[in-house]
Amino acid sequence: MFHWLEKNPFFFAVAVFVVIAFAGLVEILPNFAQASRPIVGAKPYSTLELTGRLVYIKNNCNGCHSQLIRPFKSETDRYGSYSKSGEYAYDRPFLWGSKRTGPDLMRVGNYRTTDWHENHMRDPEEVVPGSIMPKYPWLFKNIADVDTAYAEQLTIKQLFAVPYNKPLPTADGSTQTVALADSLDGAHASALEEAKVVVADMKDQAVKDAVAAGKIPEIVALIAYLNRLK
Amino acid sequence: MNKTILAAIAFLLLMAGATYLAVGGAGGMGGEGDWVNKLAISGAVALFVITTVVVVKFVKQMQNDTASGKLADENWDGIGEYKNEAPFGYSVIYFGLVVWAIWYMLAGYPLGSYSQIGEYNKEVTSHDKKFEAKYAEKVKDPEYLKEMGESAFNSNCAACHGLQADGMDGKASDLHERISAESVKYVINNGGNYMKTSFPGGMPPMLLQDPVQIDAVSNYVANGFKADDAAGKAAFAAGTCNTCHGENGEGMPMVAPKLNAMDPDMVASVLKDGKKGAIGTMPAFNNLTEIQIKAIGAYVSSLSQK
Amino acid sequence: MENRPLEYDYTVAKLFMYNAIFVGVAGMLAGVVLAWQMAFPQFNYILGMDLAEYTNFGRLRAIHTDSVIYGFVLSAVWSAWYYIGQRVLKVSMAESKFLMFIGKAHFWIYMAASVVIVIGLQLGITSSKEYSEFEWPIDLGIVVVWVLWGISIFGLIGIRREKTLYISIWYFIATFLAVAMLHIFNNAEMPTFIISGGIGNWYHSVSMYAGTNDALVQWWFGHNAVAFVLTTPIVAMSYYFLPKESGQAVYSYKMSLLGFWGLMFVYIWAGGHHLLFSTVPDWMQTMGSVFSVVLILPSWGSAINMMLTMKGEWQQVAASPLIKFMVMATTFYMFSTLEGPIQAIKSVNALAHFTDWIIGHVHDGALGWVGFMVIGALFHMAPRMFKREIYSKSLMNTQFWIQTLGVILYFTSMWIAGITQGMMWRAYDEFGNLAYSFIDSVVALHPYYIIRAVGGTLYLIGMFMFAYNMYKTMTSSRVVEENELQNATPMGA
Ligand code: HEC
Ligand code: HEC
Ligand code: HEC
Ligand code: HEM
Ligand code: HEM
Ligand SMILES: [Ca+2]
Ligand SMILES: [Ca+2]
Ligand SMILES: [Cu+2]
Repeated sequence: MFHWLEKNPFFFAVAVFVVIAFAGLVEILPNFAQASRPIVGAKPYSTLELTGRLVYIKNNCNGCHSQLIRPFKSETDRYGSYSKSGEYAYDRPFLWGSKRTGPDLMRVGNYRTTDWHENHMRDPEEVVPGSIMPKYPWLFKNIADVDTAYAEQLTIKQLFAVPYNKPLPTADGSTQTVALADSLDGAHASALEEAKVVVADMKDQAVKDAVAAGKIPEIVALIAYLNRLK
Repeated sequence: MNKTILAAIAFLLLMAGATYLAVGGAGGMGGEGDWVNKLAISGAVALFVITTVVVVKFVKQMQNDTASGKLADENWDGIGEYKNEAPFGYSVIYFGLVVWAIWYMLAGYPLGSYSQIGEYNKEVTSHDKKFEAKYAEKVKDPEYLKEMGESAFNSNCAACHGLQADGMDGKASDLHERISAESVKYVINNGGNYMKTSFPGGMPPMLLQDPVQIDAVSNYVANGFKADDAAGKAAFAAGTCNTCHGENGEGMPMVAPKLNAMDPDMVASVLKDGKKGAIGTMPAFNNLTEIQIKAIGAYVSSLSQK
Repeated sequence: MENRPLEYDYTVAKLFMYNAIFVGVAGMLAGVVLAWQMAFPQFNYILGMDLAEYTNFGRLRAIHTDSVIYGFVLSAVWSAWYYIGQRVLKVSMAESKFLMFIGKAHFWIYMAASVVIVIGLQLGITSSKEYSEFEWPIDLGIVVVWVLWGISIFGLIGIRREKTLYISIWYFIATFLAVAMLHIFNNAEMPTFIISGGIGNWYHSVSMYAGTNDALVQWWFGHNAVAFVLTTPIVAMSYYFLPKESGQAVYSYKMSLLGFWGLMFVYIWAGGHHLLFSTVPDWMQTMGSVFSVVLILPSWGSAINMMLTMKGEWQQVAASPLIKFMVMATTFYMFSTLEGPIQAIKSVNALAHFTDWIIGHVHDGALGWVGFMVIGALFHMAPRMFKREIYSKSLMNTQFWIQTLGVILYFTSMWIAGITQGMMWRAYDEFGNLAYSFIDSVVALHPYYIIRAVGGTLYLIGMFMFAYNMYKTMTSSRVVEENELQNATPMGA
């Protein structure tokens, strides 16, 4: 039979395709509906947080940092409770990473703070002697791209019914709402409000001035994102 | 022995040395070494041994054997193909592994019933049991508690306070002193209500407004309530600080923290709720166990005792 | 069959060969810089602080992976396709103007896409997915390139004179089909520009899958991208170049069959080994683990078939650096396809995942297996394309030993580093606290990062020697006649 296939390229190709496509069908499809359901307490990213997430992706932080806490005691002691599928329901793309050159960041918001990140991102070595993480001075200068984040919010709201502007349940029984502005100007305004909260805990005068002038440096958005990782 | 075998042995020795380095460098597998470590190391060693042995076998065949067999009819660009059988050992292992795979999925780790979270819960329980037994006894020894605290401090706190606990050039508090004048000033100006669990009432801002008095109090508190510092003492009273913090800053339970020395309770309240001040914000540490908090408290407060 | 020998036309094969050499050097230079950056962070700012945004580890990492995989390896694969395809199907590209046009379009559109990719990655335009970082405009470009290659494959097969497809062709077909399928599903994404009515960057998109599902599709892709870019086409090369160069017949048709169909069936299932202990369902992880272990056999099937093809031919291995490259490649293939399954065992992965041991595994495959096989293939093809002998055999020999040393330093150091790291992360002290903070593990790895960087640098030096030798071979070494080119490649001193 194989020898026959080897003389009939068309059927050969069909046979190869059937053999390789099969596994995908069995493994991937069944999980689809189930795994994307958000856990109680999960909430979509706000405009500034999503802006920061794009900064994270742009600089490939995921090349060194994972966001996946495996169910081992040594990991839950170090990073906090193990990851649950529903916590990632609003992560597009997922950012689990595959290499821990630096520590996991899935819950870094629980144990690091704005001022710490500010010091650390400017010069990791000075805060953590022996660190091999690069310095990120340009984040303090580049202005963050709120527009694209807002465009992404609009897209996911429309396509995937991501619940912006809707009360969402939290663990303690109350509700929380993540607002999405209805215009680009509104999005800028609300991102700026979030930025002011972050920048209040920062020391860099140039960054403070920028926010006061209505601009949001990338570092502010990134820290908003890191703080929200809990 | 010929060169091939010597090279293979040299290579295996190199890898054995490397294994030794890795295991030694990471603190060894220890007496109680966990079996994940053991399995990983065995796997790593098997990898080198198997590959080396098999490759040497084929090299020997290249050296001593000759090619033979019945050729297929085709010939592609001068390349022929024998119709030899697969090596026997290979076929047996092939078949064996398929059987193993089926066993693994149906009986070993049955697809329907194995759960990694279940395994995690078991791991945690057995870890806790092991150490609880130990804690119960030894924790009564203050030296032991302090050592334990130092170890927990190094893995949790050193990132901000530094291994020396000196706050790394002002990135976090220097824990060798109770508090700096600058931080006192900040609290006076801004008040504070971070350690909510221990001191629910918080401290109101602006109890003192005269910069001279504020300076005096700050130095008085930071320098450890020196009895001869009359100005400081007076200002401390003027600000009604003593009503909450006590005459000499000894603190009051549920009202205000101790100011004249670092004490385990104060450290515990910072760990439970976090704290914001002149230097920045310290997050809460909810992942620590009661015993770890106690131990860290003992260690941190020992630092400032001269 | 005709009497007159066919004149094969290597125009397109040559173009891809130039690019493979160029990007091989450039992409590995990027890898070497990365390696030094991990040893000494100052290398993040090699072009000064102002340019650090473009030279730092994060930005360079994707440039390295994508350029070695899709620049160096794919170009070499295509060079080999446009070479082997004609020869084992017994048709010349010169016989079809259409296929010649397709081949050239294939090359030039691919080059255009490559340039856009490199610039984009420099600017930080990425979707974050490993080995699939590209935004939708490039995804579409890749589809075009792929379709052109497909036309070339099936076009050439369509006009073939040799009725039975040679083993190498099986693997090329599999590569084509699998990557097409993977690419399409992993890049299901929606441009945000469209839905938002023109806000933000026009090239930005958002994945159609969220969280765990996204991870599942990504690693179904990622694992099989490894399978069908770094494995199957390389096997295709080894099935042609090793027998051809040595003049030996392939050892066993049965092994070829077991290897091929086994690989096709098993490989796809194994993707779950990238997601062990993650939030994908346990049964899927178990499948990934089990199939990875079974995968040893089809992989070793091809490797053993190659090793036994050289049965009795040790004098050739000893005499020819070219055959050395290919036999060493096969050895590393066996090594990494045993290492992978071991790392896929759940409890081993608990330690190895996220560590440098994985990086070691990647590179004993990439440098030892893929790199060496590609180098061997290009060395075999060049004299036949340019009708000149290899410029220098001794240079080639030196290259072989330098690079072998480089690979050994690379994977041994990463192997120690990874296991050290994994054990330190898991270690508890006598009080039941974690024994090490994260930075302790970073500091402990410093010496191994230096050794790796040295190993990588050696390998890169070998690449420069390779490029030089190839350049001389193409331009100025001794001209040879067709009859010198039957089997063993002619080489100058
Ligand atoms: C070259 C690898 C590398 C890159 C790229 C990198 N990091 Fe790191 N990161 C590290 C290492 C190593 C550490 C541990 C030492 C330290 O804390 O500095 C670390 C630590 C951190 C921490 C502290 C986490 C903790 O628990 O202490 C944060 C937060 C962080 N990185 C964020 C980022 C962000 C955001 C980016 C991208 C803009 C980034 N990193 C890019 C290597 C890297
Ligand atoms: C109403 C009671 C009250 C009074 C009066 C008061 N404090 Fe406090 N003080 C507190 C409480 C409660 C805290 C803890 C704040 C927190 O939870 O963040 C505190 C915190 C502090 C701290 C910071 C301790 C640390 O670890 O950082 C200092 C210093 C301090 N007080 C000094 C003063 C001085 C000086 C005065 C007088 C001007 C004063 N307090 C008056 C209740 C009081
Ligand atoms: C993310 C950084 C960070 C980490 C991690 C951290 N701290 Fe702090 N800590 C701070 C900062 C910043 C302050 C100073 C707050 C202020 O300005 O008063 C502080 C203050 C303190 C204080 C109060 C000192 C005083 O005089 O008021 C104590 C006690 C303390 N830390 C103990 C710890 C212990 C114990 C740990 C580990 C379990 C720890 N810290 C981890 C950042 C950190
Ligand atoms: C039998 C064959 C193989 C198996 C079962 C296998 C298995 C694995 C496993 C378990 C991982 C680690 C996943 C993790 O924990 O992160 C991995 C990673 C990897 N392997 Fe293999 N491997 C095989 C062969 C190869 C070969 C021949 C190559 C060629 C270069 C290769 C390239 C890679 C790459 C690039 C990664 C890294 C993926 C990432 O970015 O995380 N593998 N492999
Ligand atoms: C001179 C040779 C090379 C050197 C020095 C080198 C170095 C590096 C370094 C330092 C990394 C980053 C590792 C990390 O994040 O910890 C890396 C990643 C990678 N390299 Fe190379 N590299 C070289 C050649 C190659 C080649 C030839 C290939 C493929 C054919 C390759 C494929 C990869 C892949 C797939 C990764 C990502 C691994 C992962 O994410 O798991 N490299 N390389
Ligand atoms: Ca990776
Ligand atoms: Ca894409
Ligand atoms: Cu894989």
